[in-house]
Amino acid sequence: MSTTGYDATGVTLKATAYGVVAFLVLANLVPFLFILSVSFMPPSEFFTDPHLVPYEPTLEAWTSGFEELRGNLVNSFLIGAGTALLALVITIPGAYAFARKEFYGKTAGFYAIISAMMFPYILLVIPIMDLWTALGVYNTIFGMILAYQVFVTPFSIWILRDFFENLPTDIEEAAQVYGCTQFTAFVRVILPLAAPGIVAVGFLAFLTGWNDFLFANLLTTGTGPVPAVPVLYGTIGGGSGERVYWGKLMAETLIIGTPPTIIYLVARNYLESAFSV
Amino acid sequence: MKQTEDTSSDTRTERSGASSGNQNAVDASVSGNRIRLDGVRKTFNEGSVVACDDVNIEIDEGEFVVLVGPSGCGKTTTLRCIAGLEEPDRGSITVDGEDITGLKSKDRNLAFVFQSIALFPHMSVRKNIRFGLDMNTDLSGEEKRGRVEDVAETLGLSDALDRKPSELSGGQQQRVSLGRAMVMEPAAFLLDEPFSALDANLRDHMRVEVKKIQRELHTAMIFVTHDQEEAMTLGDKIVVMNNGYVQQIGTPYEIYNEPANRFVAGFIGSPSPNLVECTVERTADGIALASDFYTIPATETQAEHLEPSVGETVIYGIRPEYLDLETDRGAFVADLDVVEPLGDRDAVHLSAGSTDLSAVTPQGQIARDTDRVHVDIQTEEAWLFEEDGTRIV
Repeated sequence: MSTTGYDATGVTLKATAYGVVAFLVLANLVPFLFILSVSFMPPSEFFTDPHLVPYEPTLEAWTSGFEELRGNLVNSFLIGAGTALLALVITIPGAYAFARKEFYGKTAGFYAIISAMMFPYILLVIPIMDLWTALGVYNTIFGMILAYQVFVTPFSIWILRDFFENLPTDIEEAAQVYGCTQFTAFVRVILPLAAPGIVAVGFLAFLTGWNDFLFANLLTTGTGPVPAVPVLYGTIGGGSGERVYWGKLMAETLIIGTPPTIIYLVARNYLESAFSV
Repeated sequence: MKQTEDTSSDTRTERSGASSGNQNAVDASVSGNRIRLDGVRKTFNEGSVVACDDVNIEIDEGEFVVLVGPSGCGKTTTLRCIAGLEEPDRGSITVDGEDITGLKSKDRNLAFVFQSIALFPHMSVRKNIRFGLDMNTDLSGEEKRGRVEDVAETLGLSDALDRKPSELSGGQQQRVSLGRAMVMEPAAFLLDEPFSALDANLRDHMRVEVKKIQRELHTAMIFVTHDQEEAMTLGDKIVVMNNGYVQQIGTPYEIYNEPANRFVAGFIGSPSPNLVECTVERTADGIALASDFYTIPATETQAEHLEPSVGETVIYGIRPEYLDLETDRGAFVADLDVVEPLGDRDAVHLSAGSTDLSAVTPQGQIARDTDRVHVDIQTEEAWLFEEDGTRIV
């Protein structure tokens, strides 16, 4: 048997590449496996020596975690979906105007909107709380949805503007020659073609509404529509550092992470074509 | 030669007829003019860029009109004004006597075929072709299906109806785009360089196909191209444009034989005509035109027109086919630079003095390794232009 084609450099390179990939995968996977494993452990177990497979697996953390979160998950979903919906209603026409129309102050206006993303959100907390109380939307789901628009709309307009800009104008003109008004051409031709961008923006807006902690915590009170994430914060003990039920914390983390994951899987094809442009 | 003169005199009567029609819009529409453009002007960037100006074109029913010119000459803008995709600053556009200048695209009953094809990528071929019928007509589903299938059959697309545009070849896509126009049974087809994205063979094929379809449907067609050869082969009537202005309107023969100005002369025909600067001189034999390589005697007609301009500079234009090349004798001698085979003919590029000349000869008449040739000019075929390009005779 000969050793033809044995290429030391090639093999080393390949081994290194796989090594790096394996490290990166493990760096993500190991903590995730621990989260999963701890979520099935009774409290007595997760304070002992670290081990991956629970000795006495239990669903207790999951059931109590879900029980605690149920109402808040509904709030989170309403807030996330509402944020996405309102953002799309505002930004689809807005982004289209920035992409296709000429108007006074177009460039300045666009950068003014984008610059809103540059501020730390915490700066906005006091004025928003003040204003929301005055408007009567403090501690309401609608108030939350409205508050998230402050940072959801700028990036949505940005992404969608680029999307609309990249669609050929001829297609729109063709629709107009063959019987559409500008508006129906937009609905029949531009919207379907921009679907990947719209789905992507909707998904990101949903994630913002679903995952945010700062506004969720500050714009609601215990009696109001508290979303799920602040409850998770409560499970850690409100940051007090007292005894933490790690099992429940992990189970709640996974419960909160599940809906966005499902949405991602459903919308995956759209999302991938949106971000590969 | 005789024939040429006949055509050109025909032309003149035709053209004067057309211009009298210009003054009376109603008469013109009654006499079957489908589309008229009157003094159309379109500017961009608040008037700083004039895309086209003072465009007057008449298109009869069933006529194939080609707008041709170099890029940026305003031909596409003119077409887009007709389609309603641009709104002219001035002037009017009428179809069958009805002013459509202010109407929306969709209300004009004109079909537009885009250079970029511009199919709707998210719809099947069938839906693409049907689109206009769905949006703009009240036909029943059955009628629509019938029309779509008829058109698809004409264009050889029957098997592709349920595919997406992206699954088709470039030629098929452009056919779908034609089909989308044809089902509308419009007053006219507007085509904006529809074949420029296709390769040469397919382009020739599609040209023939489009012309055939146009003959069968007997619908006016306005076709924009930058390719003068395409213009010559397709057009019943050619509109040559440059810098936003119409330079000449005429049949392919008129445009080729009797260009209205220096631009048209230089733009139409391949290889390009020889355009030589000459000084008008009075010699013992009459009027002659002195260039830096040869003093060309003027014909009688030319002499009559040149009488007042002795001493001035004029442009002498002569098509390559009217230069006769001989090996032993001729009016003057030129160096041979390149022989370019064009198939049945050869283009021969010469230099005489500091002037480059082109001639066309039958295949192989001049050997490739020839150094010098004698040249005769068929002076009666020449055109004379003033320095600013205006035709003298």
